[in-house]
Amino acid sequence: MKISVLQHAPAAHLPTRHGDPTPTSRNLDPLSHPFARARERMRALNAAKMDRMFAKPFIASLEGHIDAVEVLCKKPGTVNIVASGSWDGGIIVHDIAEQKHVHQMQGVHEGKVSGLCFADNDRLLSCGVDCNIKLWDVSPQEQTSQQKPLNVFAGKSPLNSIDHHRTDPLFATASNIVQIWDENRSAAISNLTFPTATETVTSVRFNLAEASVLGSIGSDRSFTLYDIRTGKAERRVIMQMQSNALSWSPTFPTSVLLASEDHNLYTFDVRNLSNPTHIYKAHVAAVMSCDWSPTGLEFVSGGWDRTLRIWREGRGTQPEVYHTKRMQRVSSSIFTADARFVVSGSDDGNVRIWKVKASDKLGIITARERVAIEYRESLKERWKHDQEVGKISRTRHLPKPVYQAAKLKRTMLEAQRVKEERRRKHTRAGGSKPKAERKKVVLAEHT
Amino acid sequence: MLLVGDAGWMTADNEMERTWRVGQNEIVKGAGMEGAKGRQEWRLDGGPYRSRYSRNGRHLAIVGSTGHVATFDWQTGTIHAELQLQETCRDITFLQDQSFFAVAQKKYVFIYDRNGVELHRLKSHIEPTRLEFLPYHWLLATVGNPGYLKYQDTSTGAIVAEHRTKAGACRTMTQNRHNAIIHLGHQNGVVSLWTPNLPHPAVQLLAHLGPVVSLSVDPSTGGRYMASSGADGTVKIWDCRNWKGAVREWVTRGGGAELEWSAKGALAVATGGSVNVYTKPSIQTPFAAKAASPLYLTHAIPHRPLTSVRFCPFQDILVVGHNAGLSSLLVPRSGEPNFDSNEADPFENKKRRQEREVKGLLDKIRPDMIALDPDFVGSLAPPTRLTTAVHDKLDIPFARLPRLERLRVQGKADETELDADTDAVATEDDGGKNKKSRAEREKRKMRGKGKSLKRYLRKQRKNVIDPTAVAIRAKLEKQRQERRVAKAIEKGEMEPKKPSALDRFKRS
Repeated sequence: MKISVLQHAPAAHLPTRHGDPTPTSRNLDPLSHPFARARERMRALNAAKMDRMFAKPFIASLEGHIDAVEVLCKKPGTVNIVASGSWDGGIIVHDIAEQKHVHQMQGVHEGKVSGLCFADNDRLLSCGVDCNIKLWDVSPQEQTSQQKPLNVFAGKSPLNSIDHHRTDPLFATASNIVQIWDENRSAAISNLTFPTATETVTSVRFNLAEASVLGSIGSDRSFTLYDIRTGKAERRVIMQMQSNALSWSPTFPTSVLLASEDHNLYTFDVRNLSNPTHIYKAHVAAVMSCDWSPTGLEFVSGGWDRTLRIWREGRGTQPEVYHTKRMQRVSSSIFTADARFVVSGSDDGNVRIWKVKASDKLGIITARERVAIEYRESLKERWKHDQEVGKISRTRHLPKPVYQAAKLKRTMLEAQRVKEERRRKHTRAGGSKPKAERKKVVLAEHT
Repeated sequence: MLLVGDAGWMTADNEMERTWRVGQNEIVKGAGMEGAKGRQEWRLDGGPYRSRYSRNGRHLAIVGSTGHVATFDWQTGTIHAELQLQETCRDITFLQDQSFFAVAQKKYVFIYDRNGVELHRLKSHIEPTRLEFLPYHWLLATVGNPGYLKYQDTSTGAIVAEHRTKAGACRTMTQNRHNAIIHLGHQNGVVSLWTPNLPHPAVQLLAHLGPVVSLSVDPSTGGRYMASSGADGTVKIWDCRNWKGAVREWVTRGGGAELEWSAKGALAVATGGSVNVYTKPSIQTPFAAKAASPLYLTHAIPHRPLTSVRFCPFQDILVVGHNAGLSSLLVPRSGEPNFDSNEADPFENKKRRQEREVKGLLDKIRPDMIALDPDFVGSLAPPTRLTTAVHDKLDIPFARLPRLERLRVQGKADETELDADTDAVATEDDGGKNKKSRAEREKRKMRGKGKSLKRYLRKQRKNVIDPTAVAIRAKLEKQRQERRVAKAIEKGEMEPKKPSALDRFKRS
């Protein structure tokens, strides 16, 4: 009879030297892991709770403006430099990493600063409702001083927006027409306008990949595409409501994002302007600003409803929502170049810095911590359909007025839908067909 | 490290050799130095003893019925605590690990820490007889002479559930390690399965004629088989999936047998003055004759009664508690060779034990997740039974249906209004006797009947096309037509239609 009795060699399971880690052994037999699913669900639940516990998105508020912040722009090629222009005509260049002012100028324009953009190096272009465009040197300075602009370009009518060409020393401004300027000439080199348009252009932006194409939005609910090579307006669409801001996708050159007065954001493919590719619905008041993340996977929008929302591209509902008690209507919002932070400027005169992922940990993260974070993320993803886990990770606290407004809006839309349905039911069959939401947006297309 | 351990084994050299002829001395000789440590005899006074291993198999807790309690690391021989409680003690169990243990004493359950310091007296558990600890739910389940099954959460201290078993004193309890169901064996021969969530047994089964003495659930098949033994000496193996009679049963000599199933599926049966071990494929195959399956090992212990058998996790060791102390036997091929450090590690150090305790607390499963099928977590909910279609929209739960639809589903809807309407039409079509217009009839009908609301409702309904109502009307019309035809045939006005072979192709 051959006999062998199970025995564990202690040498294999104990550390060889003092201070060594104890060896671990694994047995993947499901029988040795009872309740694996139930325990994993508990872990997912805890992960979801921890995620909400650590959700502290607000980082800092940068003061300095006397009046509401109107416009923000980031300096291309840097992560930390952001310029803000205000209704009092002041401009501040912030370093958001050190949370301090790099450069500060007071009263550079009569009335509000309506547009800001960086030219190359440390030069900043600003335009105002006083019909002037000024070029500034904003290299770091010691203290505030009365500073003279490098150059002043005189426009004919109040300017609403300015954007610089990606590579050439050109910039575009928006007033009642779109004008293209050369940095070295004092007068506009070309005027771009759609033949039949008599609108005020509110914003103009160069495409980031096809650098000679630019888009503008105007007060007669239009979105217009121009090409500076042909020197004329190419296409124009009239929408149901006016747009307040536009932003070109940094990774998908044909995609443009419009922040509309009707509480929604729309992405359009400029090859087919008859209907938007996506509708993003969550704001309960007009959307005032929008900006793509440099990754092109997310974008931020700020609204008249005093909230800042961060959307995932292609997901039209349930954005991350940020708000504070003191933040007023958000008039401008931008992503930083590292896609980790969002900067917002609001009517209360402050520039605020937020994390894109609310529960992100700033500072050094050890490898072990990183693994734990990733494991928690994957658990949440796997168990998101579980009722409790999903509810915890979905639910966001909203300020009462926003919550009530959302509720009211929902009720009204539902009532409208029901009414429409009833009307359809009681008219001749086929008399009126339901129209898809995306087909309702564009009223007319001109070429 | 992944599956490096070798399981024990015992193979016969030739056809004539039988494993059950091999005695402990021979096994010890073949086991080698390290393996032979598992063969021990503890001679103790204070008689019949019960024992329990910690989950990693490193520590052993023993309790004698007159109050001798000890916990120790059986490999190194270090005693953690030794107490003389001087009162009847009926059972002992470790809690989450070796640092706490609970003892079922004469009146209450007491919890002691590693050093033997009394921490808690659980006064709500009265005259306990058996204890079980559910490690993943942190629940201590007790049952006692009053016949109450109580669950106490050992992390919060709250009593989670109390179930009155209504079957008197209970002296037999075991847990299914894979779904945390508690199995109780009662004096009337009934075995009942309990969860904290149900006030009644999840399963109840008349297993024996006479008291149930011992129960055990097979961990090697995920709790698929249960073994039970009665006071009359029968041992039965049950299939927990269907409970349709015992898979196998036989009668042992010497009365009620103590049972325990090992991690690899060896069943130890301690009865009379000997311990018999049976192994897996034969013990679980259905067999009509009332005979034991081929014996694997046997060992005689001359100290009756044998009161407990426990297999040591991750070892080939069986500990038998008897009147003169405990004896541990070597049973090759009974233990799981590979442990998982995340679940239970016999070699864990202090730091890892602490970490595992915290992790275990974080992963503590709620008591309401205990169910017969542990995999129901994370699977789709079964479709509710009472659903119906309203306006071609499926899966609206019954509770959310409008009242009329609910009545229709139940078959209690009052369709008389519809019938009356169509009847009226039908009689007019008959061109017969009732020449009164509908308005007139209605007027008369309504008089003094208080049905103005009904009339109003019908008028409201006239211009709404309800697909269900239309379908019902069509069906009623069809039935009426059939009845009319039948009546006509009866009167002889019509020839009954001859059934044709082509009828089967008719569209109905």
